[in-house]
Amino acid sequence: MNYDVLVLGSGIGGMESALKLGDMGYKVLLVEKEASVGGKMILLSKVFPTLDCASCISTPKMAATVHHPNIEVMIYSEVEEIRKLPNGKFSVKVRQKPTFVKQTLCTGCRQCEMTCSVAVPDQFNFDMVARRAAYIPFPQAVPKKAVIEREGTSPCSFTCPAGIKAHGYIALVRSGKFREAFDLVLENTPLVGSLGRACYAPCEGECTRGSLEGPLPIRRIKRFIADRYYQEHTGPQYTPPEEVKDKKVAVVGAGPAGLTAAFFLAGKGYRVTIFEAGSQPGGMLRTAIPSFRLPKDVVDRDIKNVTALGVEIKTGVKVENLEELKKSGFDAIFVATGATRPKKMGIEGEELDGVVNSLDFLQQVNLGRKISFEDKTVVVVGGGNVAIDAARVAVRLGAKRVIVQYRRTRAEMPAHDREITAAEREGVEFQYLSVPQKFTGRDGKLIAVESIKMELGEPDAGGRRKPRPVEGSAYKVAADMVITAVGLEPETEAFQKLLPINDNHTISVDPETLQTTVPYVFAGGDVVTGPSMIVSAVAQGRRAAFFIDRYLKGEELKGADFDYRTPVVNKEKVLVRQQSYRTLPPVGSGEILHEKPRGFAEAELPLTEEEARYSAGRCLDCGICSECRQCVVTCPAGAVDLSMREEKKEFLVNAVIISTGFQLFPAQQKPQYGYGKFKNVITGMQMDRLLAPTRPYNGVLRPSDGKVPESIAFVLCTGSRDQSVNNPLCSRVCCMYSVKHSQLIMGALPLADVTVYYIDVRAFGKGYEEFYDQARAMGANFVKGRIARIEEKEDSNLILYYEDIDNGGKLARAEHDLVVLAVGLLPNPQVQNLFAAGELELDEYLFVKEVDEDLNPGKTSIEGVFVAGTASGARDIPDSILHAGAAAAQAAAYAERVRVRR
Amino acid sequence: MNGRVRDVREVVREEMLMRDKILDVLKDGPKTVPEIAQAVGYPCHEVMFWVMGMRKYGHLCEDELTDEGYYRYRAVIKEDS
Repeated sequence: MNYDVLVLGSGIGGMESALKLGDMGYKVLLVEKEASVGGKMILLSKVFPTLDCASCISTPKMAATVHHPNIEVMIYSEVEEIRKLPNGKFSVKVRQKPTFVKQTLCTGCRQCEMTCSVAVPDQFNFDMVARRAAYIPFPQAVPKKAVIEREGTSPCSFTCPAGIKAHGYIALVRSGKFREAFDLVLENTPLVGSLGRACYAPCEGECTRGSLEGPLPIRRIKRFIADRYYQEHTGPQYTPPEEVKDKKVAVVGAGPAGLTAAFFLAGKGYRVTIFEAGSQPGGMLRTAIPSFRLPKDVVDRDIKNVTALGVEIKTGVKVENLEELKKSGFDAIFVATGATRPKKMGIEGEELDGVVNSLDFLQQVNLGRKISFEDKTVVVVGGGNVAIDAARVAVRLGAKRVIVQYRRTRAEMPAHDREITAAEREGVEFQYLSVPQKFTGRDGKLIAVESIKMELGEPDAGGRRKPRPVEGSAYKVAADMVITAVGLEPETEAFQKLLPINDNHTISVDPETLQTTVPYVFAGGDVVTGPSMIVSAVAQGRRAAFFIDRYLKGEELKGADFDYRTPVVNKEKVLVRQQSYRTLPPVGSGEILHEKPRGFAEAELPLTEEEARYSAGRCLDCGICSECRQCVVTCPAGAVDLSMREEKKEFLVNAVIISTGFQLFPAQQKPQYGYGKFKNVITGMQMDRLLAPTRPYNGVLRPSDGKVPESIAFVLCTGSRDQSVNNPLCSRVCCMYSVKHSQLIMGALPLADVTVYYIDVRAFGKGYEEFYDQARAMGANFVKGRIARIEEKEDSNLILYYEDIDNGGKLARAEHDLVVLAVGLLPNPQVQNLFAAGELELDEYLFVKEVDEDLNPGKTSIEGVFVAGTASGARDIPDSILHAGAAAAQAAAYAERVRVRR
Repeated sequence: MNGRVRDVREVVREEMLMRDKILDVLKDGPKTVPEIAQAVGYPCHEVMFWVMGMRKYGHLCEDELTDEGYYRYRAVIKEDS
C-alpha cells in the first residue's frame, strides 16, 4: 500500500499536519500508538489564554482527522522501522496491535468496561483513578471503540493443559462473581469439582506470585467455586441443545478424557453414548483416587454436567470391536479407555496372598469393600502418586506400620511433593533408595519383603540418575501386606487388529488431531499418552471433541486452529511493573494432617469465602486481561474477539512527518518535592484532569482523603530550567498553564487560596500578560521564590520551604493542603530508533533537530523527513499548530519532488 | 487512617476486592472517604482510589458536601440488583 505522507503521532500537531495534507489532496497514513487520536491536548481542561474548552476544540479536529477521505488512521499501532529508499521514498513497517474488539462492530457502549474484572491505573487520568483492562480511552475518544489490554496469556492459564482460564476465574472470584467463575471453568471442562480437589495444579507452579510470598491456591479456589455452585445447584441449569445433529458419536471409556469429549460433543448437538466397562462412570476419579482426596459425590455431580446435555452412559459394557460399534450406527468413535493395567514387578513372590496391586486395592476401597489392616505392616512399592494414595489409604485402614519403598531419593520421586508431605505427616515411613528383590511367604501367604539398598549412578537416557544395587546391603522387612504401585499401562489388545498400537501398549494417533489411522476412530487420554494427570486427560478430551466435530462436518483436520493462546507473558516483566509489593501471605494449606488418621473424611478444608477472595486478591493480573470472558458474554454487538492477533504491515510513503510530541518530566526525579510519596503532591497534568469535565473525581479534591482543598500551591519550573535534573530549557507552557489552573480553581473553589511559587513568570504570547494580570486580579498570590523542599504533615497537609526573594531572600515556610508541581516538557527521543543508526539527528537537548530552523521549519537531518510540534522542542498549542502546518507544507513539497522525479 | 503510599498498581488492583466491602458499608447511608476508610480499615488515600473507581463505573455517586469539606458517597441502586 502506498501513501504520500506518513504522519507519526496524532496529537494536535500530527492531526493538523494530516488534515492540511489531506485537504491538499495527499493520501496520508496517520499512525497512533494509543486507541484514540488526540494526544495530550484532548486531556486538558481548557486552553490558555482564551479558556476555551480543550475538548470542545479538539474533538472536531479528531473527528475530521478520522473521517477525512484522504487520511487513513491506524490506531493502537506502532511504527517499527522507517527505511529510506534510493528513490527518495520510505519503506515503513507498522505493527498493528490487536484490540481484541472488532472495530466495525463495537458501538462504544462500554458494557465490556462495566463488566471487566481487572482494574489498572488509568494513564489517561495520569493514574489518579482506575480503568479496566477493557476500555475506551476517554469519553471523547475518536474512534470511540473499546480495546482490551492484553500483554499475553498469564502463566497460570498458559500452562494449563486443558486451557482452563485460571487467571480468569481468579479475577472473577476476586470480584465476588462466583457463578460466572464456575461458568468460565465449565467452558473448558465438566469436571470442575474433581479438578478443584485432585488436580496437581501445574498453574500454581507457574504463578508469578510464587516468587514473592508463594503462589495463589488456584486449585483450592476452583474447589471453592465448584463447592459454592454445587451447594446452590444440585443439577446443571442447562438442558441438551435444541438443535440436535443427525450424527452419533460413541465414546469408549467414562474417565476424564471420555467424559470431557462427550460433554463438548453433546454441547454441539451430537448424540453421544459413553460405553464404560466398569460398574460406574468416572474412571480413575472414581476408582483410583481415594475419597479423602476426592469424595465420590463430587464426581457424581461433575458427571451430571455431562449427562444433562443428553449424554447416555452405558456401564458394564466393555467394547472390544470398534468396527461393530461403528456398524451399530455411530459415525465416529473416541477411544478413551485409560491406562488401567498395573505393571508387574517381575520378582519372586508376586503371586503370594497378601501381595496386591495398587489399582485393585484402591478400587476395592473406593467401591466400599470392608477392608481392615488393623495391626498389620504394609509395604507399598513405588514412588508415584498412586503409591502415596495407597499408603495413605492403608494408614486409614488401621495399619500399624506403612512403609513406602522407593528406589531413588525423595527428590526424584514422581509423586507430588504435597502428597509426600501429607503422607509423612500421617505417619507413613519412607525407605528411599530401596527396592524389593523378593516377597517371601509361608503357606502361600506373604510374611516378608526382602529388599536391597540402592545408590544413584549415572543419568539414564531421560536424564534421571539410574539406581543400582549396593552390594551386601540386602535387608528384610516383616510384612503382612504388599501393595505394588510400579506403573500402569493401557489395555489395548482388543484394538490391535484395527489400530496401530505402540510398544508401550498406547494407541498411535496423530498428535494434533488425535485421529488414528482409521478415520472414524479417534483416541485420547492415558490410552494414548500413558498415565498422566487428570487435567491432561481433560485436555485430550477437549481436543478430540474439536477434531471429531470437524471430521463429522467434513472439514479439513490438519492445520485447524485449536486452542490458540497468545504468547505467555514474561514473569520478570510482570514483577517490574510495580516498585514495591505489600506482603500478602498465602492462606494455610487447609490440610487436616495428623498421625494415623482413620476414616475417609476429606483431608483438606475448603476455603472460606473470605479466604477465597483474599487469595484471589493476591493475583498480579500478569497478562492484564484475565480472559474471564465477561466482555464476550456481555457485548451486545458480539464485537469482542479474544483470538485476534497482531498484524505487521509494510507501506511505501513519499515523505514522513514526526509528530510524536513530548514527555512530561517525571516529578519523582525531584525527591525533595515528595511526588509519589506525599499523597497531596500532584502534577500540573493531574490538576488539568481534576479540572476537566471528564475528571477522575467529582471535583477538585485532595487525593489523600477526598477533601475539597482550601489552600493550593503551584510550584513552577519543576524539572525545567533546572541543571540538577539535566534540563536547562524553559518548557514555555508551565507558567501559563499554572495561571490557567489558578483562574479555574478560583472559579471552581471560590473560598480556596491559590499561591504560585515562581522564579519569573514568562508570559510572552499574545494575551498572555493580560491573562497573568487577570489571575492576580482574581486573587492568586504570586510568590517569587524557588521551593527548596516539601514536607508532609500527619494530616497530609504540606509544608513548603522556600526562599522569599521579594522579602529580602529569607527562608520562609508555608502550609498548603494541595501542591501542584508545574512539570516541564521533555523530549521523546525514542523516535530516533525508528531510523538507521545516526540518521535522524537530535539536538543537544534530545529533541528532533531542525537543521534549518530559520528558513525551513520542520526540516530534519533526513531529506523527506519532517518534524512537527513539540517533537522538536517545547511549544504551546498555537505554536504547535503553526509548526505542524509548516511541516505539512514541507512534506507536500518533498512528496511532489519525489513524484516528479518518478 | 493515613499511612505509607503503596504502589498505585497494587492499590488500584484491589478495587475489585474492596468493592463489595465498600458497598456493604454504604448500606447504612452515604459516607465520606474518611468514614469509609474507618469502616473498612484501610488508609484514606487508598479508599480514595477505590471510591473514585467505583464512581467512574457507576457503583456509587456523590451526595452532599459536609461542612468539613468532604463529599459523602452513596451506593447506586442498579436496576438488576
